[in-house]
Amino acid sequence: MTRYGMVIDLNRCTGCRACMTACKVENNTPQANFWMNVFRFEENEYPNTRVWFMPRPCMHCNNAACVKVCPTGARFKREDGLTLTDWERCIGCRYCEVACPYGVNYFNWKAPEENQYLDWDDAELVTELGNDGLPYANPDLELSYGPEDRFTAGGGHYKGVVEKCTFCVHRLENDLIPACADNCPTDVINFGDLDDPSSKVSMLLGEKPSYRLLEDVGTDPNVYYIGGTPPNSETRQIEEIKVRV
Amino acid sequence: MRKKLTSLLVVLGFALQGISFFFLAAPLGLSTSEADSNPVMPFAPVVFIVGVGMVFVAAVVYELLPENSDE
Amino acid sequence: MTTQNETLPYEVGRLTRGWIAMVAVLLILMGVGGYAYYLQFTQGEIVTGLRNLGTMGGATWGLYIVFLVYFIGLSFTGISIAAMIRLLGLEKIKPIARMAETMTVIALILGAMTIMVDVGQPLRAMVNLFRYARPGSPFFGTFTLVIAGYLFASQIYLYLDGRRDAAILAKKPGRFQRFFRLWAAGYKGTPAEKKRHNQASFWMAIAIVPLLITAHSTLGFVFGLQAGRPGWFSALQAPEFVALAGVSGFGLLICIAAIIRKVLNAEEKLNQDVFEWLGNFLMFLIVAYLYFMVVEWLTATYSSGGAEASVSNALFTGEYAWMYWLTVATLLIPFGLLVYQFIFKRYRLAWIVASGFMVNIAAVVKRYLIVVPSQTHGTLLPYGIGSYSPTWVEYAVVLGIFAFGTLMFVLFIKIFPIMNIPENSEGGE
Repeated sequence: MTRYGMVIDLNRCTGCRACMTACKVENNTPQANFWMNVFRFEENEYPNTRVWFMPRPCMHCNNAACVKVCPTGARFKREDGLTLTDWERCIGCRYCEVACPYGVNYFNWKAPEENQYLDWDDAELVTELGNDGLPYANPDLELSYGPEDRFTAGGGHYKGVVEKCTFCVHRLENDLIPACADNCPTDVINFGDLDDPSSKVSMLLGEKPSYRLLEDVGTDPNVYYIGGTPPNSETRQIEEIKVRV
Repeated sequence: MRKKLTSLLVVLGFALQGISFFFLAAPLGLSTSEADSNPVMPFAPVVFIVGVGMVFVAAVVYELLPENSDE
Repeated sequence: MTTQNETLPYEVGRLTRGWIAMVAVLLILMGVGGYAYYLQFTQGEIVTGLRNLGTMGGATWGLYIVFLVYFIGLSFTGISIAAMIRLLGLEKIKPIARMAETMTVIALILGAMTIMVDVGQPLRAMVNLFRYARPGSPFFGTFTLVIAGYLFASQIYLYLDGRRDAAILAKKPGRFQRFFRLWAAGYKGTPAEKKRHNQASFWMAIAIVPLLITAHSTLGFVFGLQAGRPGWFSALQAPEFVALAGVSGFGLLICIAAIIRKVLNAEEKLNQDVFEWLGNFLMFLIVAYLYFMVVEWLTATYSSGGAEASVSNALFTGEYAWMYWLTVATLLIPFGLLVYQFIFKRYRLAWIVASGFMVNIAAVVKRYLIVVPSQTHGTLLPYGIGSYSPTWVEYAVVLGIFAFGTLMFVLFIKIFPIMNIPENSEGGE
């Protein structure tokens, strides 16, 4: 059986945040929502400071706290390990958000705007882009996926619902890997089937010591980190992302 | 008759609650597939609420129903 | 106590100028709240102070959830009083039984409203909760047992308990005669009927006490079962919720009873005895809650580290310290007042009412401290400290909901006697 997961090699990460940008472009997430978030960390005092970077997608936990608490089953597990949100069913109670220890859920506080980052109706832009369709309108995001045909892909569909990282379900269904993994310039993010012993993720986990975030909470995540140690209470953020809408 | 109906409502109410909670609503425990997020029967929670309601309606029935042959 | 022959007792159906003015004020408050909610409904919850946890550094549950917990907590009183009267034979508190039951019903309706204003998609919620609600979610208990079951049970209690009085009033001609006749549903006060009512209310009391504990516990479980939220994950959460529900509920009941005593000149009926009993009972509930607080405080500070320490530091010495110590003060002062009166048997109505009022401040603030700090200071990954301050929209909506509840209460007072009609009254047994 397939169990999708990520192995993130922190030794390679330069903290460029290309994955965050790729995620935003791919999933059309609303402003200030970072389904993929790269922490820039600093530890210890000078001269022993250590700076390191940690991408944080949704952990797609096997024992996901969000799935357990969701009152309507809008948050669910798929058999291939994905933890997805049905944004046609979500009532916006935000229980998943308080239950999740990783802080990966984002509520749509306002109605999504098409022109949130750029005025696509700008005359100059329209002449340049032609009529090939606007870049934000990825039709795959509006489709339903999985055996039950549920609406899970992409972000910014409605106000008042919770959305989060989908492991780019719409790309997976088309045999592509998630946008963050595809765009990483230094091959930090490895994506694949953790149940397949010959997949790259399984090989990496076999070769190197790995850890998962907050394992003692018991969520059993499907995202593994290799290199370094988990962040602790002494870890500080260098550039704290604190953006609000 | 009145007492029988009352007891019947109470028993049936609790039964509905139990059945709905354990069998008709979405399964308890670790969820591993899409199906686990759906109730076995749509609107199963309504059955549960109706069950809770029946238990307490029994009191109204007990008080309001006219006396019959028994007692 | 006057027995009126022409007019209905307890100013039922009589509209005074003060009453109309009060209703007008309440309607204005509701209008403001309604406008605020309209803004939220059309623009989204961007108009509130709520934001996402983590990278937005906010709290995603705020004032609405605080008041949801508060309102549902208030509902503790009605059923417990009704059950105690029946099971422990406390006849002397009978005059407050109906106002307590009314308060319970209204508080639960307000609780349901607060849920609806909190969710992002209220129209969907109304369908999807009934359609999909999962027993695995701690919210299932809040939704089915508390809002639906508990509300239903309280209404039935209120209804059955009121039949005797409705039957008495139905004999008097007037605008409400048909309504009272409907309520009485053929009640004549025969010994058989009384016996039947006694039996029914006895069994309901027995059935309802477990529901009471379960219902308030499930609300505690909403928070207490979350392993990923330091400050919430605690086995004490459920019993603590039951205790604080009792404290706030009885506190507010004391206030309401005092107001009704004043407005209806019911000094005789709502006498010192009733308030003494309420005060003493409140005292024991406060003791229970203070005990939980001490245990909680010790557990949170003794060996904690990491995010747990971050939350407790914020609570005891940091950003939320003034609120925490305000809670402690508004629990300890009433406790002191009530203990003093209990020991020296020198009861003063003003003190009891002040205690009731203060514990309600404590209850609201403590709920805030349960809900918010764990979100702003309790992230397990190093997201940094968040912040949350409610906007006027949230205050206005909560105030509007309060006004709606008060309006329902004052309307009920005018259509049905808020206290039981004394035995010797005309047309009685």
